Amino acid sequence: MSIEQGLKEALARKSPPPGFTARVMDAIGRETRVPARPARRWWQWAAAAALLMAIGGGTTAHYIEQRREGERAKQQVLLALRITGAKLRGTREHVRAISRQEE
Amino acid sequence: MTAIAAEPATGTDALQRAREGDHDAFAELVSEHEAMVYSIAYHVFGDRDRASDLAQDVFLQLYRNLGAIESESHLLYWLRQVTTRRCIDLLRRSRLRAVPLDDVAELQSPESHRDPLLGRTLRDLVTTLPESQRVIVTLRYQEELGPNEISRVMGMRVNTVKSQLHRALQSLRRKLEER
Repeated sequence: MSIEQGLKEALARKSPPPGFTARVMDAIGRETRVPARPARRWWQWAAAAALLMAIGGGTTAHYIEQRREGERAKQQVLLALRITGAKLRGTREHVRAISRQEE
Repeated sequence: MTAIAAEPATGTDALQRAREGDHDAFAELVSEHEAMVYSIAYHVFGDRDRASDLAQDVFLQLYRNLGAIESESHLLYWLRQVTTRRCIDLLRRSRLRAVPLDDVAELQSPESHRDPLLGRTLRDLVTTLPESQRVIVTLRYQEELGPNEISRVMGMRVNTVKSQLHRALQSLRRKLEER
C-alpha cells in the first residue's frame, strides 16, 4: 500500500465523543441566557436615598440664596429711586423759589 | 475539485433556519459537520479531549458569526479555515509535538483499516510533523482537498503548500522506514 493511500485511511474522519452536539448546544444556551439581575442590598438603597437627598438639599439651598440676592437687589433699586425722587423734588422747589424772586 | 463548489447543498435549509434563530436547526448543522471539525483537530493534536474542546469552541464561534455565513459551501470553507487556524494557534502557543493518540479513537473510525497498526503508526507520525505540515497533510488526506483549496483555507501560496506537502511525505516515509 502506498503511503498516500495509507494516510487516506489513517486520517479518515472520526466521530466526536457521544453527546458532543448536546454539549455545544448547552454551551450556546449558557452564553445566550440573560443573567438574572442581582437583588439590591439595603446599603445600596441607603446610598441612593442619601445621594438624592444631597442633590435635593443642594438645589433648595441654591434656590433660597438666589431669592435672597434678588430681594436685596430690588431693595437697592427702590432706595436709589427714592433718593433720586427726593433730589428731583428739592431741585424743583429751588427752581420755583428763584422764579418767584425774579417776578 | 474545489471545496466551495463540490459540496452538496444539503444543509442550506438548516443554515437558513439557524440564521433565523432556530436552535434545532443549528444543532442539525453541528451534527452534520462535527466529524469534520473534530477530526481535523484530532489528527493535528492526537488528543481527543483537546480536539473536542477546540471543536466546541469552533461551533460557538460559528454561532456568533452565523450572520456572516452566506451558503452551505461558505459554511464548509469557514469551518475548515477557523478550525485549522485555531489548531495552528494552539500548537504555536503550547508548542505541542508528539502526543500519544487515544486508543479508543480506533474504534470510532467509520472505516476499518486493512492494517490497523499502519494506520495507528501513520497517525502518530503525523503528530510529529511541524505545525503547518500537520495541518496540510490533514486537509489533504482527511478532507481530500487539493493544493489550491488548502492554500485558500490556510492563506498560503500554492507553491508553499506543495513544497510543504512534499517535505511532509518525505519525512513520513523516512520515519516509517526507520521503524
